[in-house]
Amino acid sequence: MRELAGKLLRLDRRAIFVLIALATLIPLLYPVGLPIRVSPEVRRVFDHIESLPAGSVFLLSLDFDPASKPELYPMAVALLNHAFRRDLRVVTMTLWVSGTGMAEKVVSGVASEYGKRRGLDYAFLGYSPGGANVIINMGQDLNAAFPADHYGERTADLPVLRGIRSLRQVNYVVSLAAGTPGVESWYVYGKEKYGFELGGGVTAVIAPGLYPFLDTGQINGLIGGLRGAAEYETLIGMKGKGMAGMDAQSATHFIIIGLILLCNLFYVVAPGTVVRSFDGPQDGPGPSTGLRTGSPQEGQR
Amino acid sequence: MTLFLRRTLPLLLTFLFGVAFAVQYYIPHPVSEGALTEISIWLRIILGFAMILGIASLCQVHYAKIRTRVAGWGYSLVVYFSMLITVAVGLWARGQETGTGLGWIYTYTLLALQGTMFSILGFFVASAAFRAFRARSKEATVLLVAAILMMFGRVPLGEYLVPAAGPLAGWLLNVLNLAARRGIIIGISLGGIATSIKIIFGIERSYLGGRE
Repeated sequence: MRELAGKLLRLDRRAIFVLIALATLIPLLYPVGLPIRVSPEVRRVFDHIESLPAGSVFLLSLDFDPASKPELYPMAVALLNHAFRRDLRVVTMTLWVSGTGMAEKVVSGVASEYGKRRGLDYAFLGYSPGGANVIINMGQDLNAAFPADHYGERTADLPVLRGIRSLRQVNYVVSLAAGTPGVESWYVYGKEKYGFELGGGVTAVIAPGLYPFLDTGQINGLIGGLRGAAEYETLIGMKGKGMAGMDAQSATHFIIIGLILLCNLFYVVAPGTVVRSFDGPQDGPGPSTGLRTGSPQEGQR
Repeated sequence: MTLFLRRTLPLLLTFLFGVAFAVQYYIPHPVSEGALTEISIWLRIILGFAMILGIASLCQVHYAKIRTRVAGWGYSLVVYFSMLITVAVGLWARGQETGTGLGWIYTYTLLALQGTMFSILGFFVASAAFRAFRARSKEATVLLVAAILMMFGRVPLGEYLVPAAGPLAGWLLNVLNLAARRGIIIGISLGGIATSIKIIFGIERSYLGGRE
């Protein structure tokens, strides 16, 4: 038993990679579609958009780059679908330069599905340099922050922005963020001074850090990770990429839980096995797993 | 004169702007608001120049690597090559992405590469979990149990198998995590305020550079 445990602990990491790849691919190809429970923090974003009368100004800031696309893109699709269904005036932008093309694609794509016209029903302001300072600038004078939209049209002439001189005239802002500038920047430099309501959508890694802001009402709702996107899709009755990814996420989470439990079991059975896959000289690409067997004391390092 | 330009003037400007815009927040007079509007534009222009500084620094670092032939210097050549190609194509496309080479580079290289880099993390996390996530101490055991509960309760399969798993994961996030995070945020904020005061009053001068 001890020998078997030792052997399994020395398992080639590529076997684990294959396991994860299969756990991701199979549910994507053959989805089960387990029901998704909607958390209160996601429901609050949905309820707030539902409460806005048609013609209200909804600003969606897509503050992420392609690295966070799998988690935040489905959120953007769901929120835009909801906003266009509610006939809100949708204003979109990004504070991340490398996310500009992606943001443009999602905004124009969803808008075209609803027959919404650029400049009249929605606007994509694009990217403006300055990070959090853009938020202050928009709070003071929106046209100064974005003299022209992404397509070069003067923002002062856009019918969708009629009557909007600054962030004070915006009814609801949601920042979909993968870092800084993101939700916290929108709160500190925007909501605090200009008084709009703020919601957030972030990657699963960032979400736990924003719960204090949720509890105090500094943000009114929070969509966290792919799970949050799937919850929002459930609320608006849409089968999007968030829901499609939840089966894969279920499978990979269970694989990781299984691996953690096995790892601990093996260490109990074979306490002398030392794993050097992270600090050893053999930690590189190739067939070697960089493992060796040593004393229990070494294993405690 | 050199000392004045290098030390006294920056300290004076930092003090004046620091105090003025800390006070400005509490004065909603049109003049005060106008000053904030103006300064927010200035800040964005200055940050635009910071981007140029960043590119110059990037070029310098990678040039040094190529010149001294350090390990992996070939990657530095790739940096130069990719940057120059992207800039050239971007200028040719006049900054427009739709239907241009710039859009192609963005969609089929940047987007794909960044997505791949991030997705690889999932594989390494699984491998690391198998080899390193061990209950070696009380603290590690608490972390391990919390991680398992979160992973179990945040996916539909976990909630389907154990209906209480979802609310339990929510409780962990909304109570235990929130309390810890709040403490950290308060600590960071107090530290930020203290550092700001030190910078405004010239006690903290490291931003002036090593020869100050």
